[in-house]
Amino acid sequence: MAGRPLSTRGERLFHCSRTPRCGRPVSSESSAVMDILPFLLVQCLNALSQAALLFFLGVGLTLIFGIMRIVNFAHGTFYMFGAFLGYSAVRVTGSFWAGLVLGPMVAGGIGAAFELGLLRRLYKRDDSAFLMVTFGLTLVLGEIIRLVWGVNALQVEVPDALSGIVFLLDEPFPVYRLFLVASGAIVAVGIWQFLERTRLGLLIRATSQNAEMVHALGVDVNLVRSGIFGIGCGLAALGGVLAAPLLSASLGMAGNAIIDAFVIVIIGGMGSFPGSLLAAILVAFVQVFGTYYFPDFAMAAMYLLMLLVLVVRPGGLLGKEA
Amino acid sequence: MSVSRRVLLQAAAVAGMGRGAFAAEAIKIGIPVALTGPVGGIGAQMRRACEFWAKQVNAKGGLLGRPIELIIEDTAANPATTVRKVQEMVERSGVRLITCIVASNEALAVVPKLAEWDTVFVSGDNGDGRLTAESLVPNFFRPNVSGPMGTRAVTLWLRDSPMKKFYGIGMDYAWGHNSMEVFEAEAKRAGKEFLGAVFSPIGTKDFSTYITRIRQSGADGCYLVLAGDDNVAFLTQAKQYRLGEKLQLLTEQVDEMGINASGDAAVGLIGGSRYPATLDNPANKVFVAAWQAEYGRLPQMFEGDQYQSCVVMQAGIEKAGSIEAAKLRAALEGLVVTSIKGPITMRACDHQAEQPGFVVRVVKKEGMEHPVPEVIAIYKADRITPPCNQMAYTD
Repeated sequence: MAGRPLSTRGERLFHCSRTPRCGRPVSSESSAVMDILPFLLVQCLNALSQAALLFFLGVGLTLIFGIMRIVNFAHGTFYMFGAFLGYSAVRVTGSFWAGLVLGPMVAGGIGAAFELGLLRRLYKRDDSAFLMVTFGLTLVLGEIIRLVWGVNALQVEVPDALSGIVFLLDEPFPVYRLFLVASGAIVAVGIWQFLERTRLGLLIRATSQNAEMVHALGVDVNLVRSGIFGIGCGLAALGGVLAAPLLSASLGMAGNAIIDAFVIVIIGGMGSFPGSLLAAILVAFVQVFGTYYFPDFAMAAMYLLMLLVLVVRPGGLLGKEA
Repeated sequence: MSVSRRVLLQAAAVAGMGRGAFAAEAIKIGIPVALTGPVGGIGAQMRRACEFWAKQVNAKGGLLGRPIELIIEDTAANPATTVRKVQEMVERSGVRLITCIVASNEALAVVPKLAEWDTVFVSGDNGDGRLTAESLVPNFFRPNVSGPMGTRAVTLWLRDSPMKKFYGIGMDYAWGHNSMEVFEAEAKRAGKEFLGAVFSPIGTKDFSTYITRIRQSGADGCYLVLAGDDNVAFLTQAKQYRLGEKLQLLTEQVDEMGINASGDAAVGLIGGSRYPATLDNPANKVFVAAWQAEYGRLPQMFEGDQYQSCVVMQAGIEKAGSIEAAKLRAALEGLVVTSIKGPITMRACDHQAEQPGFVVRVVKKEGMEHPVPEVIAIYKADRITPPCNQMAYTD
């Protein structure tokens, strides 16, 4: 029994809407393969959009490490938590933008509460205590997410305003990815200005250099720590909300995310904010072009880069030499 | 005195019977299923089908007069964990029969141990062709559709399509590579050009580079061997890049979970289906009605395929009168079971069930919340099932 013949090349095969050029005849034989220039442009933008998500992950982890000297194992789980919170916020309020605000706020609040309630009691212990406790948080939070949202991947629709495509040198590119690149840039500039220009930013930088001195000067260092832990977790969750329309919210997110975040922090230098930005961009480019030219080594590319950095600069690109 | 003695004897007899009925030892079936990780959603479907089947059987007084007890463990799709969990089931709980393993690499890790455990494994969804070819063991049975069979249905359909050049993307593990090999061979046999394939690691989140590669290939059609979260992520992103306007997306298996999670992104997708709920036969109608009464929706693909495996297992146990591996094996070989896909034959030579192949297209329907798969072609069992002990086809 034969199926119905398919439409031939050049015909419109799928439903589409919203874009003026939608349904235009598909390229002819000669231009079936993309030219080099549009290809490079699309790949660079792909890389930058990935870099934005990696940056949200890495910057929170590195801020927390810089101030508190602890490695937050639960960082990937907060990223995943953000994606699920974003899903629910969109379901309840009908607005993606509400999710973008509510997700990081809830996750940041829980992060700050966790620091206040648990981590604070452990500062006198050695580092392994933090590893155990934050790893425990990973398991608990992960299980709560599974109980509340279930095991299936949940799709978050791209908000209408960003769901179209633009043609860059005649190649279609999703507007949402451009939006990701822009949000990455805005958040990077925002954090930079926050650290440089505000009093809290000043305190954060001071605490990271000499917490005891800051404390001696009459500043409540503990409050700064709770704040920074909350902000770090909130940034991870923001990344999660932004990633949800692209990758959908799923239980597998956390495991990948925490590894990516560690790689970013190690390459950029533990505790270095500009380092995390540089590392996110570097890793994204290596992944995007590595996957294209050497798909069999897609997984290894990022780790090879990390190895190389560790050999040349053991403290990370912009970190203090270990 | 004599009266009271008779009463006493009656009471003893009743008590004895009662004890007999209650003490009928349960048939324990091991369910080492991935409930977490990228294929956790598929695992949830398969587990639901097993539970539904066990509930049905137990409501009718059980199997061989014994109740069915499912022993469920999460494997997280990690082959090493799966082997360990099954070992525990066998040693601690006395399990001698397992089903419901999700991923093929888990199944491939388990089969070499079956003889040692004296345990029969009835596959519920494992697709890797090798399981009934080079890796076949006597205690393994596959009532479900294999990967090569799913691919075969799609390629038979492709023979009549005007598409010429194909590219592929598969998950970078046993099933992905195996199905892609079969697709390549079948596409070439159909006189089509196979331009190459790329494999993405399990758990890949961002497919943008792969999508660029597919666009770059200049193919008319792209064959997907993706499942679970990866499938959802790919379909969603392919839609964002308008990949479907450039070429036709084809897939080995159209799975409702992927469709529901990716929304309209799956509309237009053409692919094989292991079990479309709309099949028109009496057994399927009974099954679908019972399922809807229980869950308030149609059964999904993996639910149907796993349920069919349970029914085959049940028929085997009834025929053997036992779950002992040697007897069950003999009973299953050559067994014909009329189930939700019509009559299927559990082939003795390689333990693969001969059954029809379905090709579906994902369409949007009025009044349905999600897009649905619509059957566009059905191929008979003898066209779909490969020659004994093989993964490749000869015509």
